[in-house]
Amino acid sequence: MKINYKYLLILACGLMTLSACDKLLEFEPGDVILAEDALKTPEDLQRLLNSNYDVLANLYDGRVQVLSELLTDNLSFPEDNNDYAAVYGRQTNFFTSTTNGVYSDFYRAIYRCNTVLESFDFINGLSESEQNRIEAEARFIRALCHWSLVKLYAQPYNNTPNNSHLGIVLRLEASQEPLSRNTVAEVYDSIIDDLLFAHSNLPIENGFYASRKSAAGYLAHVYFLMNELPNANFYASEVINSMEFTLDSDLDRYEQDNISSETVFGIVSFSNDFRNEGFSNNYRSDIGTPVLSMSESVFTTFSLNPSDLRNEWIENNNGTYYTTRFNGANYFNVPLVHLTGLHLLRAEALATEGIDLDVAIADVNAIRTRAFGEGINQLPSDASAEDIIEAAREEMFKETICEGVWIDYLKRRGTLGEDIIIRGAPYDCPGMALQFPNGETSVSGFQLNPEGGCN
Amino acid sequence: MRTKIFLVGASMLMFISSFVQAQTVKGIVSDENNLVLPGASVLADGGAKGVSTDMNGSYSLSLSAGEHTIEFSFIGYQKQSKKIVLTAGQTLELNISMQPDAVFIDDVVVVGYGVQRKKDVTGNIATVDAKKITALPTPSFEAALQGQAAGVQVTQGSGLAGSASTIRVRGTASVSAGGDPLYVVDGIPITQDYFIRGNGGAMNNNPLATLNPNDIESVEILKDASATAIYGSRGANGVILITTKRGAKKKGLSIDFTSRVGISTPASLPNMTNTEEYLQLRQEAWENDGGTGYVWLPNYTTADDDAETRALAFREAMGRDIDWVDRTIGTGVKQMYSVGLRKGGEKYALYAGLSYDDNESYLIGNGYERISGRINFDYTINKWLKAMVSSSLSRGTNSRIDAAWSGGLGDAMSNALPFYPVRYDETVLDEDGNVLHPEDEYFIWRDEFGGAKNPVGYRESFKSWKNIENRSVNNVRLLINPIKNLNIVASGGFDWMFLREEIDEAPIPTVRDFSQSFLNVNYILNWNYSLTANYDWDLLEDHKFGFLAGTEFQRSDSYGYSEEVTDEIPTPQRNGNPSQFSFLSYFGRANYTYKDRYLVQATARVDGSSRFGRNNRYGFFPSVSAGWIVSEEDFLKDSKTISFLKVKASYGLTGNANIPDYARFGTYSAADNGILYGNENILFPLQLANPNLQWETSRVVDASVEVGLWKDRVTFELGAYNKLSQDVLMNVNVSPSTGFTNYWDNVAEILNRGVEFSIKSRNLVGKFEWTTEFNVARNYNELVDIGNYTPDAVSGGTNDSRVIVGKPIGSFYLVEFSHVDQANGLPVYLDLNGNETYDYDNAIRKYVGDGLPDFIGGITNSFRYKNWDMQALAIFSVGAKIFDSSAKRQLGVVSSWNMRTDKFDRWRQPGDVAEFPILTLDETKYGLDEGFPWWNTSLFVYDASYFRLRNLAVGYTFQNLKVKNMTFNNLRLAVNVTNLFTLTNFPGLDPEVARDFENAQDRNLSPNVTYLTPPQERSYNFTLSFAF
Repeated sequence: MKINYKYLLILACGLMTLSACDKLLEFEPGDVILAEDALKTPEDLQRLLNSNYDVLANLYDGRVQVLSELLTDNLSFPEDNNDYAAVYGRQTNFFTSTTNGVYSDFYRAIYRCNTVLESFDFINGLSESEQNRIEAEARFIRALCHWSLVKLYAQPYNNTPNNSHLGIVLRLEASQEPLSRNTVAEVYDSIIDDLLFAHSNLPIENGFYASRKSAAGYLAHVYFLMNELPNANFYASEVINSMEFTLDSDLDRYEQDNISSETVFGIVSFSNDFRNEGFSNNYRSDIGTPVLSMSESVFTTFSLNPSDLRNEWIENNNGTYYTTRFNGANYFNVPLVHLTGLHLLRAEALATEGIDLDVAIADVNAIRTRAFGEGINQLPSDASAEDIIEAAREEMFKETICEGVWIDYLKRRGTLGEDIIIRGAPYDCPGMALQFPNGETSVSGFQLNPEGGCN
Repeated sequence: MRTKIFLVGASMLMFISSFVQAQTVKGIVSDENNLVLPGASVLADGGAKGVSTDMNGSYSLSLSAGEHTIEFSFIGYQKQSKKIVLTAGQTLELNISMQPDAVFIDDVVVVGYGVQRKKDVTGNIATVDAKKITALPTPSFEAALQGQAAGVQVTQGSGLAGSASTIRVRGTASVSAGGDPLYVVDGIPITQDYFIRGNGGAMNNNPLATLNPNDIESVEILKDASATAIYGSRGANGVILITTKRGAKKKGLSIDFTSRVGISTPASLPNMTNTEEYLQLRQEAWENDGGTGYVWLPNYTTADDDAETRALAFREAMGRDIDWVDRTIGTGVKQMYSVGLRKGGEKYALYAGLSYDDNESYLIGNGYERISGRINFDYTINKWLKAMVSSSLSRGTNSRIDAAWSGGLGDAMSNALPFYPVRYDETVLDEDGNVLHPEDEYFIWRDEFGGAKNPVGYRESFKSWKNIENRSVNNVRLLINPIKNLNIVASGGFDWMFLREEIDEAPIPTVRDFSQSFLNVNYILNWNYSLTANYDWDLLEDHKFGFLAGTEFQRSDSYGYSEEVTDEIPTPQRNGNPSQFSFLSYFGRANYTYKDRYLVQATARVDGSSRFGRNNRYGFFPSVSAGWIVSEEDFLKDSKTISFLKVKASYGLTGNANIPDYARFGTYSAADNGILYGNENILFPLQLANPNLQWETSRVVDASVEVGLWKDRVTFELGAYNKLSQDVLMNVNVSPSTGFTNYWDNVAEILNRGVEFSIKSRNLVGKFEWTTEFNVARNYNELVDIGNYTPDAVSGGTNDSRVIVGKPIGSFYLVEFSHVDQANGLPVYLDLNGNETYDYDNAIRKYVGDGLPDFIGGITNSFRYKNWDMQALAIFSVGAKIFDSSAKRQLGVVSSWNMRTDKFDRWRQPGDVAEFPILTLDETKYGLDEGFPWWNTSLFVYDASYFRLRNLAVGYTFQNLKVKNMTFNNLRLAVNVTNLFTLTNFPGLDPEVARDFENAQDRNLSPNVTYLTPPQERSYNFTLSFAF
């Protein structure tokens, strides 16, 4: 008996060795989906596409607009935020985490867009029209991201004769290959290409997601910055003339629970999902001291004409100036392309071209009527092109205060030969292009922006 | 340690023998100092009969008439045999004086999955015995390995109670994967996650702190591939084998008791400026910047305030002088009580240990309390089957305080300005007469990041913090001996760790009017099964073989969840899915010994790990080694000088797989991740897949020679090694334009090459005994390759250490500071071409030094005179640099940080030769960007060479002290002081530093970076120990 027991034990030990197999080494992470299982159905793809809007919403909730605004002279020095101070001082470096975060987020969306574009073959049951729509939306978002990046991290379009100066890395594939920077010309070509495809394939009606008019609105803006004014005019007119959008009767475009009637494309917030915190956390002055205050020159400009209803957007708090545009609501929708901007853009484009001045005058007067009241401060019907341009710029400046748009207009004018000096430094001094994140230099060969040179 | 034994069996034998009227040999066994040796083994005729000496060192053995060989042995002493001839009825008296054995030639050492005779070992293994581990109080047992073994760099963390040491065996060979050695307790690779709670409060969790040092019998450090390759994919950074105490069969009952009480004080103190000094320096900076009137003061005034307001605040500040350092440190009290019991019967052997250790640090409110119990029980079931059970249960309670960047002493060394009051001296009213701050309310100031500060307020009222860790390490082994020379061991182990962090935060005036609590729980279940078979085959007299084959499986499941309670509303955030890994391994070892002097060993291990995909799941880790005991050869056998000479060499492959469990997977968020946009679900990629991820592999060549001179009165070992680590894992910063920021890949190649020397010399023997042990090691470390990546591909977290090809791992990558311009007082930097510039620019960062030492070592001198003994352990490190990362603020741009008095040596007027530039409040003056006072220059890289008297102990031993009816064996009273003095040129706090780290990569890359890290403690202790 004893001997049996002994061998039984040894046998058991022997079995222990045999029972070991590869299965014991298979552990998969919980709470997540493995990449190979993630994209199977049209719904999966739609959800991935929707995550791009989510990234956009996290970027355009004010975060990006604040960075653009910091480069102008519209704000006072942001004492309490080192990163904002660096942007304001035009001395970002590759450790500036706020600008690094924005950069990474844009490319996160670009990677996801590329993943969407490369996934059609693996999805079962996707109709051709659906594929077209998804493709158009993905390329629309990719264009938006590339455009925002090239505006922030490179010198403006037309800053060199052939736009051969360095832009940003153009990512048109979901690849991990380290790439070097493309020229600004290449980047803009790709943006236009994506937006034109989007324009042809996006649906007319698409809720708060990108529609054909969203693409047209962006095309107008992009062409305007490229100084291709007929194209800018063409696409601005397409949106304006479609009558799908009307100017908001009041001045507040940042509405809660309601998308402003003039929003061509924007970000939406809900009571359970705030997508406006980049604005609220930095500017809101009714619940504490805001991080950012306006410059004195902005206050002066706004208070020049006492009948301007927009005066109340800037308040004087014992010599510190705050904006009230984002006060009052915990959450609100954020328009990115709106009818006001397109009217004023078209007015300047037409006046510069010297054609259809009556349309241009009407564009400016529509905005002035809302700001000053019926018949007040109107451009006369015989206003000169120069007057129209000046009026359009003045209204654009006021209407888009804090919207992060003005810096693009200043830079554009600089490239056209105007002597644009911002807080003592030329519009294209090196630091005006934000520095790339440290991570870009983790592989040899990436060319950083030159730093400083603006003070 | 000498085990004291009452041998019941011996007296029984004597009792029985008296009836037979036999021949007797008896006597007393004593040591070289004529002190009796209880428990020494006395064997007749190769073990036919045997007894142990009793507590008086005496023995008596009844034998048949005729010729006998009597063998006397005691651990740590040379074996002696005597031939005697007994005539009928004779009682022979034979007293023996034992001589200490230097290299314990016949000792066994613990090796992977077994034991070997030390003499036969061909690998490189250092043994540290229990005595040395318990000789001094340390935050955790591994700190006591410091200075004990050549090539084992132990850097004690900090003065925080329970803080972890970093151990690097033969240099750093990893970048992002864990670089610590594998710890194996009684055969179980234990859970050793330092980052289970990140670096909260500026401290990493120490998974080893719950192990009771008093339970440890010995620690073996496996260094070369021959020794570690049997641990395959986990051996590349060395293996530390911990063997706990066990009872011995037939040895009766013995009890050891140790208690220690002591106090803790800081080994050094920061030299912060007082109010007058601070204000003087600040005022000077203000005036240098063109300011007029009084300088503005943080938390009181701003630069924009008018002169009168500033003057008022300045004058008020002058009236107060708080030494914040003094408010955060005090004297810690330590107490430790430990009882160990051993009992051995015919069939069983038992060790039971119980200990209580309360180890307060000098930081007020900080202490680590450990209660631990252990039972190790061996039972011989029958002739071929034996069971061994080892089980420990301990609870460590760490009373936490914030340190370094997180608060406490760190605040006192940074944002706590000497004119800030602890509490308001009087009630403060606002313009309308309402009470703003009642008298005695804590004064809260804001640091530059807006954080609310006051270390005294936090400690006394705002925050209470406890980390409670329960740990149980258990193991059951069955030893089966079915046929002669074949031993099968089946082992099952279970290691359980349960960490509960409780933080309670009270309201803080002007900051938060509610209280909140956080509960963070982590638990890790770690199973381990192994089966080994060992066969010893003596083919012929001269040919001996040993074979080992085995298989092992380990699995670990880590769980964690958090709960937050604010204003009584609980918001539990439970994370249900564990993080899991497993290893499945097959291994073998073959030994061949020819003529007891030619030794050959081969080992191999195949390891599979869940952390790697199918492409590279299994790794193969072989090793070969050979040894030649030259002193056994005829031409040396009779040498009077050389008593032992062995040369040995090895080559082998080892690996490292210490990376996050799921690094290889490409993953997407769960479908129900709860994130919506436009009230619709979203799905998004999280991590990139790397199906080709695989082990780091180190190729190690090792050669050494062991020598014993003059009957081993002097023994030394000299060794050299070359370790080339390839496919080193890096969590590289990928270009963010790829859409991701990090990616795990096998990228780097690292070389560690070095020599090690250790010597033990009994300088004086006899009445006055003096023994010196000395070891020194030189390691050369070089990052050979990182592919196409740049130094910024990985970083040591917030530390400025990087990977630079051609330089050591963790080099400081900073702007090189040249000198202070005598003409204008501005700092002058050197650009990449060595040209002088005033421009501080990240583009001109370069290698400016590293934290790896050229030489490390330890020296222990032990003296004994009669009952007195004295030991002095000193450690040294030569050639490493320290980056004093907090000095760049304490000694940089004048800011809302307090300064160190070193700052007095600053430029003031043209012609001044000063260490520090002109004082300024304006960082742009130093060429820094506005808003960035982080002056990362080589000015704060210092030589960190040091010589430290780690421990000095004096003891007195009573051999057999009788108190009434009790007899105490070896009752010892001792006093010791740790860190009595440190010789160094480092102007900062402590030249030996391992700060809190962000992750394993930071731990590898940032040795010798200090950031407000609390210095080590100096403790004074009194120890009482005895046995009965």
